[in-house]
Amino acid sequence: MIELKDLCYARLGASDLDDAESFSIKSLGLQVAEHTAKSLYLRSDDRAHTLCYFEGDPADQTVGFEVEDEDKLTAAATTLDELGHAVHVGTATECSLRKVKAFIGFKDPTGNQIELAVRPERSGKRYVATRDAGITGFSHVGLYTTDPARDERFWTQVCNARVSDRIGDIALMRVNAIHHTVALAPGRGAGIHHINHQVGSNDDVLRSYCHLSGQRVPIVFGPGRHPTSGARFLYFQGPDGMVFEYSVGVDEIEDEETHRPRQFGFEPSSLCMWGAKSARPR
Amino acid sequence: MNMAATAPRSSLIQLCYVRLAVSQPQSAAAFATEVLGLQAVPDKQALLLRSDNRYHTLCLDTTTATSSIGIEIADEAALDRMAAALKQEGFTAREATAEECARRFVRRALIVVDATGNEIDLVLRPAQSGRRYFPSRDAGITGLQSVGLRSRALKDDLRLWTAILGARVSDRAGDVTYLQFDHKHHRIALYPSSRTGLVYVSYGVESMDAIMQSNYFVQERQIKILHGPGRDPASGQIFLRFEGPEGYVFSYAYGLNDVEPNHHPRQFASQPSSLCEWGSECRDIPELQLPSGR
Repeated sequence: MIELKDLCYARLGASDLDDAESFSIKSLGLQVAEHTAKSLYLRSDDRAHTLCYFEGDPADQTVGFEVEDEDKLTAAATTLDELGHAVHVGTATECSLRKVKAFIGFKDPTGNQIELAVRPERSGKRYVATRDAGITGFSHVGLYTTDPARDERFWTQVCNARVSDRIGDIALMRVNAIHHTVALAPGRGAGIHHINHQVGSNDDVLRSYCHLSGQRVPIVFGPGRHPTSGARFLYFQGPDGMVFEYSVGVDEIEDEETHRPRQFGFEPSSLCMWGAKSARPR
Repeated sequence: MNMAATAPRSSLIQLCYVRLAVSQPQSAAAFATEVLGLQAVPDKQALLLRSDNRYHTLCLDTTTATSSIGIEIADEAALDRMAAALKQEGFTAREATAEECARRFVRRALIVVDATGNEIDLVLRPAQSGRRYFPSRDAGITGLQSVGLRSRALKDDLRLWTAILGARVSDRAGDVTYLQFDHKHHRIALYPSSRTGLVYVSYGVESMDAIMQSNYFVQERQIKILHGPGRDPASGQIFLRFEGPEGYVFSYAYGLNDVEPNHHPRQFASQPSSLCEWGSECRDIPELQLPSGR
């Protein structure tokens, strides 16, 4: 079994790196860690980077997870290879672009680009946000799926994810105590559905709602509250259509042994208990 | 030593009701139950509504052109002292007739007019209900919490509330003045204005969830949100202010702070962020817009 320890980074192709930088600083509120000729590295917590924009196709989207060590990475590569997933072993240059010691890349059954990384860099300098959004860190991703049941099996049987709750057939899955690290979302093809950053308080969510509305950033869902994780949330749209989420108050699954996934109906109130309706095209 | 035990206790006990002058009572009552979520009280004389364990906290009155609020006074002696002080200070105050008392569900009332022209009933023994409050929709209302009053004569209105009635200033935002008389940050807020009347009537609700659920509930019914969802930095409360019938403004609020016994009134800058720390702004009500830089 592939043991995912935590989320590590997201890598997004950008059609215009300047737009991506402007949004990241003025709207999202991340800190620029490094700006190279073709890449923008952004911090959200004490890691050296958690989001990287690179000059390229916006459809080129990757999510990186941390695994324990190089032995575990080799074992994961073997497992994936046996299951027929094409595995790419990261070159030294590619590793340095990701600020990790080693990594492998593959595609999940839907075709999402996933990387498993060893020893992602942390930074000795503390995280200083560019605006007072109250961000405490990169926390989870939503991944599109073309077959929720098949992909749930991949994440829970090939990898170590556990289902925390389901909305219809859509699984919210955890790899540690946090309610979910990967949320599946039905879609027509591969891609990142949303990128979540946690914030410090309810106030931060609502302040950002006013701040982003004032900047004419499209608010696509919320402010709202998920009845599944209990989190208060706000979804909004960034460059190239990527959706970002702020949330606060995500439940922790305290007892791994006794937790049973709850089944929520596939209806709007399962996504927001306050009554917000998603404006995202499906 | 416990400061609360030594602080002089106010003779103002509670904000007990609001009487709104309306011309279309049935549509106002429909709003009060279907949107606000209050409980209608069966009564032949008037349209009465409950928000908590009291017999009524809202009366929709077609017989008057002036809205008013009711404040419970501790006892006869305190009310007599207030009546004498009001007379001496030149305020209009008259004893309510037996019929007026009956319509207010109180045993005695002194009907006072403040310097602005707002009517304030000082009342004794307002009626409670033995039956528990049963709301008409799940808005999470916990009770009538505060009112905002327009003030055309802030200095004299403040004199009435503090020197004569015994309320204390808890904080100011620009010239908006919050008045406390129990453990809560404010029960009355005075808003500088060119008019008489109420700025809003505010009901406490049980949670932030209740505020946000109502935010979407009223939006779906095409009801105009006038201010919020927002958070008032002085009192800490999260609020949602929206348009009611006949120009009245109603508010839900959650998280109104208690006042520490040694609280000293703070002056918040005359800026929109002093009325909402989240950044919501009110475009339609002049009293809820703080002029910047004063």
